[in-house]
Amino acid sequence: MREEFNVVLAGVGGQGILLAAEILGTAAVKEGLNVRVSEIHGMAQRGGAVVSHVRIGEKVLAPTVLEGQADVILGFEPLEILRNLKFASEKTLIIMSCEPIQPTEFTAKMKKYPSLEEIRAKIWHFTKNIILIETGELAKKAGNILTENIVLVGALAATGKIPIKDSSVMNALRELVPKKHLDVNVKAFKLGYEYVKKS
Amino acid sequence: MPDAYTILKDSPKERALLLGNEAIARGVLEAGVSVVTTYPGTPASEVGDSISEIAGKAGLYMEYSTNEIVAVEVAAGAANCGVRALSAMKHVGLNVAADIVMSLAYAGVRSGFVVVTTDDPECYSSQNEQDNRFYALLSNLPCLEPSDAQEAKDMTISAVEISEKLELPVLLRTTTRVSHTRGPVEYGKITKPNLNGKFIKDVKRLVMVPTYSRPKHTVLLKKQEEAKKISETSPYNRIVRVGKSREFGIISSSAAYNYAIEAADLIGLDVSILKLGMTYPLPEKMIGEFLSKHKRVIIVEELEPYLEMQIKAIAKDYAPNIKIYGKMGKQYFPRDGEFSIRIVATGLAKIAENKLPIAFEKIDEKYAEIVKDLPPRPPILCAGCPHRASFYVLRKVAGEKAVYSTDIGCYALGCAPPLSVGDILTCMGASIGTAEGISKTIGESTIAVIGDSTFFHAGIPGLINAVYNNHKVVIAVLDNLTTAMTGHQPHPGTGMTGMQKPTERILIEKIAEGCGIKYVKVVDPFKIKEAEAILKEALHFQGPSVIVFRSPCTLMVVREWRRKGVEIITYKITDKCTNCMACIKLLGCPALVVEEGKVRISESLCTACGLCASLCPYNAIRQ
Repeated sequence: MREEFNVVLAGVGGQGILLAAEILGTAAVKEGLNVRVSEIHGMAQRGGAVVSHVRIGEKVLAPTVLEGQADVILGFEPLEILRNLKFASEKTLIIMSCEPIQPTEFTAKMKKYPSLEEIRAKIWHFTKNIILIETGELAKKAGNILTENIVLVGALAATGKIPIKDSSVMNALRELVPKKHLDVNVKAFKLGYEYVKKS
Repeated sequence: MPDAYTILKDSPKERALLLGNEAIARGVLEAGVSVVTTYPGTPASEVGDSISEIAGKAGLYMEYSTNEIVAVEVAAGAANCGVRALSAMKHVGLNVAADIVMSLAYAGVRSGFVVVTTDDPECYSSQNEQDNRFYALLSNLPCLEPSDAQEAKDMTISAVEISEKLELPVLLRTTTRVSHTRGPVEYGKITKPNLNGKFIKDVKRLVMVPTYSRPKHTVLLKKQEEAKKISETSPYNRIVRVGKSREFGIISSSAAYNYAIEAADLIGLDVSILKLGMTYPLPEKMIGEFLSKHKRVIIVEELEPYLEMQIKAIAKDYAPNIKIYGKMGKQYFPRDGEFSIRIVATGLAKIAENKLPIAFEKIDEKYAEIVKDLPPRPPILCAGCPHRASFYVLRKVAGEKAVYSTDIGCYALGCAPPLSVGDILTCMGASIGTAEGISKTIGESTIAVIGDSTFFHAGIPGLINAVYNNHKVVIAVLDNLTTAMTGHQPHPGTGMTGMQKPTERILIEKIAEGCGIKYVKVVDPFKIKEAEAILKEALHFQGPSVIVFRSPCTLMVVREWRRKGVEIITYKITDKCTNCMACIKLLGCPALVVEEGKVRISESLCTACGLCASLCPYNAIRQ
């Protein structure tokens, strides 16, 4: 067995994907683990598809995950999960936000965004392990719609799949989120966490 | 994002998660570099940005220079007064700075001077994939190539030391995956910066007129011998793994090394690995001995066969019968795009005739089914972006047939439909000169589109040329009061410096007037009627004209609103809407979505710019 843990975070520019990835990476360093967090900046970021890979493990060197080797895909947007399914296998857990963001091509060509059932059926070709999560609703409940990313980090922590203690993730979050917005973010983390624990 | 002060901690042995570029900034502090200059460009920007945040507190000088050659000039001036300096730029930025770099190699420096160049395999945010290691070969300047964040920091310090030893600038070459990957970095001690320089006059040493530059070429070549000695004993050139059978050896550098080692493990290849961190000059003897100990050697490097060409030459002397595999001849690895574990594993497996343990074809097959009708999600102009308003005006007045010569920046995204403004784009500042050549030959007024920061960077000579040679061009400067694409760095038109201090604000319209442009207007692009009238006038004007479309970047405006707690009153579609789809067809704004055949405005994306409302033929969009 390869002793590594791979998360692929997939979504759209502006969803706070890089912050979520950095929280996971910082938490890993706090536990003395070796980690690589790859990011996409600049031109590619503007409202476009954004993906970040977090790889944890003693022998990890490459910044990107090998096809079929993601332990978890943290999906910030349903279609963007599909775009990153090459990293999935039947062992992969998909944590999936239900909040669609219309690609401009759909708008221009008057195409309909596929239903969540259709998307789920496509994911099933790769893996049956899917956790659906209403990130928008939970983020609003936490007090700010912009905390969907932290809801997902909370959900990931609750699965017990990452080799990092919850407390380390929380400490990393405290360090990286602006003080002013800390309470809302802590709340978002807890709501995501509890949602997975309960389901 | 992390607190910039994280990199300021004087806490040796502490481990922090740093981006490759932040690690270089930390290296600046540990090496005692005291002058940092840059022009922002992805993937280099965070080197300068990190320093800009802390420069005042750390006691060093930082500036966003007008462009890369000015950045290197300023730093070279400092380094010739005995002050350690560093300039950071993206790969194509080094093309701009190449003129001074080539001759500074002759003149040399008195204290450490590092030029950071960040290449971009896969063109994540660039117009090409050039391999800047060839600049080392061209200029005879030493080159270091880190493969991760820890090495990025350590090699910054080594680059300063080597530079001081050889009295030569040193290139520190990264790629996107080195600059933009976070990894643990162990801190060392911070060295106090020293900004007090002294200029010692020495004409023969520093004035590169032919009489003095001729002998300095000889001096540069002599320094190569010493540089080679450094490379032979460099801790960054080392054998990291010794194979059992000695059948195969791998030589690799930079990000490619990371893929190579994981790929070799994946396919279970018994192999020795020589990792190169100093890739100019190459450690000839070390490589020669490595070659002679193996039957077959595989070169794993991204982009051009830079190592391969040189290693094949070395092999002639040390191991003439050895087989060398890479990307020349049989092309086991691609010369375009970035590498991955898969790409390297596939190449290695082909060479070693090993089997891949993962059935990639099966994954590809299943994946192709999934993505065949998946819409692309390319980068787009943000909701509320003032460029969208400018493009709308340009298209409406100048029309589809007009030729739009565009430039590097967010506004390059205007080339996509429905805005479709952008017919030719090559490099920073090229929009204006290119438009002049087009207008001269097609006999019609041509429109050059250029951003504010790009205008200062390289647009001004083109503008002067338009006046001097009387070219019929309309120069549309899209001034959003920042360098938006690279992360909102200040520029000469913002009135702020990299030290975060107010300064004289240079106005684009004053430059245009001063250069002799007779038709210069400034307009808010959201005032579309006014902007349309001005553009009509400019198109009919005999001679070159300049229109400054000025409105701040929406991201900056919204950030400021959020900070102040200002509520955004978004626009809504009222029941007057006839579903004519004019807003959808003309603007391509991400806040405008169609659901069940009807237009809706996304509350979370709308920034209340009002552009859609002002062009709706039925007045159906209201705040």
